[in-house]
Amino acid sequence: MLPRERNSRRAIATLLQIPRNIWCALFREGYPGYPDTDLKRSTLITGNVFLHLHPVKIRRHALKLHYTFCLGGTAFLLFLILTLTGVMLMFYYHPSVPKAYYDMEDLEHIVNFGLLLRNLHRWSAHGMVAIVFLHMCRVFYTGSYKPPREMNWVVGVGLLLLTLMLSFTGYLLPWDQLAFWAITVGTNIANAAPLVGSKMRFLLLGGNIVGPNALLRFYVLHCVVLPLLIGVLMAIHFWKVRKDGGISGPL
Amino acid sequence: MLQRSEDREMFQPNSEKSYGLMEVVDGTSVMVEKAPEDTVFSWPHLVMLEIAWAMVVIILLHVISTYFNAPLEEIADASLTPNPAKAPWYFLGLQEMVSWTSPFWGGILIPGILVVLLLLVPFVDRRLVGVGHWFARERWVANTLWTVFAVGTITVILIGLYCRGPNWHFYWPWQDWPKTH
Ligand code: HEM
Repeated sequence: MLPRERNSRRAIATLLQIPRNIWCALFREGYPGYPDTDLKRSTLITGNVFLHLHPVKIRRHALKLHYTFCLGGTAFLLFLILTLTGVMLMFYYHPSVPKAYYDMEDLEHIVNFGLLLRNLHRWSAHGMVAIVFLHMCRVFYTGSYKPPREMNWVVGVGLLLLTLMLSFTGYLLPWDQLAFWAITVGTNIANAAPLVGSKMRFLLLGGNIVGPNALLRFYVLHCVVLPLLIGVLMAIHFWKVRKDGGISGPL
Repeated sequence: MLQRSEDREMFQPNSEKSYGLMEVVDGTSVMVEKAPEDTVFSWPHLVMLEIAWAMVVIILLHVISTYFNAPLEEIADASLTPNPAKAPWYFLGLQEMVSWTSPFWGGILIPGILVVLLLLVPFVDRRLVGVGHWFARERWVANTLWTVFAVGTITVILIGLYCRGPNWHFYWPWQDWPKTH
């Protein structure tokens, strides 16, 4: 081979290597400290409080996208996004009448990226309700609630109800016509429960009508009480997935 | 003994033997009466997949949020009742049932029974068949029942969203609503 030919080959090989080299430099593959042994791969998971939600090893079956469609994980991701955008919205929002509504207008017209922030929170919330429902359908159609996973199905039903309640309490906060009447319709149904119905409605609204007290109560429920509850239930849910032997699979 | 892949020993074939140790198989537990483990490490297999999927979802949400705005109507006014007044979409099933029956039956009793039935599912259907497969044929009864439930839920929501007009009368989406004040 002529030296010139060899040089040009080497040049091409170097060029072709560029993406790989950038990837490795970015993610430290092949560098000291990179988890390239089984021991390091294990300690990476067990030694990190966030990754520790995972088992160190999982069944190959559980990785298949067409089995879980990532639905449970997506519900959790949406919850995280909702927490983040929700906290940012709290910086701009006063739970009082009529300030709440004007804050919405400010978010749309004055706050930088306020509209995007509100849209992200809104669509993630609708998405979460739908995804949780689809996740429940996945669990049903794959028979994943059968022993030993009964209790996690029960925890799941709790998560479904909490998701609906979170969405419902958030619906009132913009204090526009849509919010006001949707909550009026919704809470009127609670009225029909025998004996406790009207008392429960009074407790929820802090009065007999959807007014400033209701807005404050829904705000506290939406931003503090329900997120804490759902967080605890999620922790139990994920812990149980692992205690029950990981994601279900062919027996 | 734990055998990690990095300290796996290599055995040279011995030319005088007609048999040889081929491999020591990886394993993190004693493999008595178990098939070879079909597992992979969470890192990188699962974690990388999660990160990639999270990026897709986040980008998708930004695209949606760029083109579609969350609704904001006029400020709340207790003296101005919209007709029809609709619950959020996920409660339209309830509202629909209330409109067929009564607030007590459609809003409390039937949904309450549905939740109890939902909670009982894993305690009624305990036969260990068809786990880990979508739509296992042996479970056709359960799957059919669930499909009826799921399609029913979605149908009442769609009716509530698109087919309910003033006074909760039924209108096809392409039909005009009569004028109200
Ligand atoms: C906020 C709502 C929820 C979140 C964040 C959530 C999250 C998860 C995650 C991450 C998994 C792991 C497997 C997967 O991704 O599919 C899982 C599994 C499971 N979920 Fe949920 N889930 C929720 C609601 C529900 C509901 C409503 C049900 C049923 C009523 C349910 C029942 C189960 C069961 C039984 C498993 C074990 C499935 C298996 O082993 O294959 N979850 N969940």
